[in-house]
Amino acid sequence: MKKYILIIKNVWSEMTTYRLNFALWRLRVNLQLLTMYFLWLAIIPTSGQFGSYNQSLMLTYILGGALLSTVIISSRSYGVGDHITQGDLSNYLIRPINYFAFWFAQDLGDKAMNISFAIFELTALFLILKPPFFIQTDPTFLILAAICAFVAVFLYFFLNFLIGLVGFWSPEVWAPRFIFIILITFFAGGLFPLDILPAPLYEIFKYLPFTYLIYFPLKVYLGQLYLQQILQGIATAAIWVLILYLIVKFVWNRGLKLYTAYGR
Amino acid sequence: MPAIDVKNLTKIYSVFQKEPGFSGTIKSLFRRKYQKIKALEDISFEIKEGELVGFIGPNGAGKTTTLKCLSGLLYPTSGQISVLGYRPWQRQENFLKEIAFVMGQKNQLWWELPPMETFLLNKEIYDIPQSQFKKALADLTQLLSVGDIVNTPTKKLSLGQRMKCELIASLLHSPQVLFLDEPTIGLDVVMQSKLREFIGEYNRKFGATIILTSHYMGDVQALCRRVIIISVGQIIFDGQLSKLVQKYAPYKLISLVLQKETEVSQILSFGEIKFIDFPRVALKVSSKDVKITATRILKELPVEDLNIEDADIEEVIRDVFGNKG
Repeated sequence: MKKYILIIKNVWSEMTTYRLNFALWRLRVNLQLLTMYFLWLAIIPTSGQFGSYNQSLMLTYILGGALLSTVIISSRSYGVGDHITQGDLSNYLIRPINYFAFWFAQDLGDKAMNISFAIFELTALFLILKPPFFIQTDPTFLILAAICAFVAVFLYFFLNFLIGLVGFWSPEVWAPRFIFIILITFFAGGLFPLDILPAPLYEIFKYLPFTYLIYFPLKVYLGQLYLQQILQGIATAAIWVLILYLIVKFVWNRGLKLYTAYGR
Repeated sequence: MPAIDVKNLTKIYSVFQKEPGFSGTIKSLFRRKYQKIKALEDISFEIKEGELVGFIGPNGAGKTTTLKCLSGLLYPTSGQISVLGYRPWQRQENFLKEIAFVMGQKNQLWWELPPMETFLLNKEIYDIPQSQFKKALADLTQLLSVGDIVNTPTKKLSLGQRMKCELIASLLHSPQVLFLDEPTIGLDVVMQSKLREFIGEYNRKFGATIILTSHYMGDVQALCRRVIIISVGQIIFDGQLSKLVQKYAPYKLISLVLQKETEVSQILSFGEIKFIDFPRVALKVSSKDVKITATRILKELPVEDLNIEDADIEEVIRDVFGNKG
């Protein structure tokens, strides 16, 4: 266990050596957030309504989405593909370490660093902009939202890892990753709530894993779903985690056989 | 039981062939051509515990492939491998804790962080008890004369310093079997000899079984009594270095310094001229006749100085590979 804590610590030390890089990344995240914030502020007047969202709910969604993206999307495991194609994977195969846990620990380190900054920044934005924020007081929704976010972390990890495993078959690991990033940006609901789209579309989205990354946990936080819908959602997300885990394991084993057959 | 036992190991890679250019890329999407490449063909050898063996051979001979098979990175196509009684490709935890594989061209140190952080992480990965860790670290830093640099970020270290730290990181868990793939690659002469000393010392001190590959004959000559020579996937020699010379170079070199210029035809009667630049001459003479020839030379030529040397090992090996094509 201690080795994983050390890995988390190492990730922090690494991030602090690239301070400027990290600061610029945070700046980008915040600029994007502000754009979305002012856009929705302009679209929905103070007493207006957009779909099932009034101004307060929508702004809460946008700010909450920013925080949640930090929790769920921040990761390092995009490096899996490069490890495989450049052969660095060998260094880990010859050591008694679990390669999945190694990356998961790095992801956690990255998330923790990003979260601490995001909380600080959001507090600042809060004090400056004084948005009409919706605060959920019902502990049931809070706990359920936390569970959804927890499941989402794993969901994202396995999706991300799976993309990296492409490296076993093709050196072009970044092409599928870009497509993945675009899918995530649109389908995960980080930019807008998915239920402002036409209802038939959402009926499809309901069955995709992306929906459960950001949109669903936020929706639960806002208290806009019935308990039954929430439980159904959690079940769907959990099934996706299981499916993805099995796929990742299968693909990993296949890929590893290839890797240990060709060598790199 | 030998520490390493390899029987009839064959490794065939099937490599995907792509025609050059864009049309080649498109074609390869639909029909892929694979070419089978035999990297190792039916090789067998045993290595005893505590032995230090050198693997030599030209690029692409199969040295690294052999090490990868032994460390569990490659799945053998056929044949049996046993390392400390384990099947390497199963990569069992206990097996991994007993071995180390140092790849000269690959980093395990965290690039942005001081090597010490990697050492500490390895301590946890290998479950090294604190006291043993402290002792191993002290031993290794002393043997390699590494000082404070373990607290400098890796990216700021020179290649030699980094290689030393890589070695420390790989040896902290006191592996019983050590695979070194080109450990001296890219290092300057001083650093090369220091690293050699260290490897020899490590072998003696800890009784570790070591296999070393290198392009530099110097490495092997300085360290290994036994060498295995691989060429095009086959072992062409396995034995003591001195035997190699006897087998492939049944001649010695007689170097002379002459008092005055002598007819080349006269010198030629003693043996093959390897080098001539008056007053210096070097002759290749068959090992069994060397005594008689030397006496004759002393009698018949105006010799100022005479020296009998073994054949140059590097040259011998070049000859061996040359014959193999």
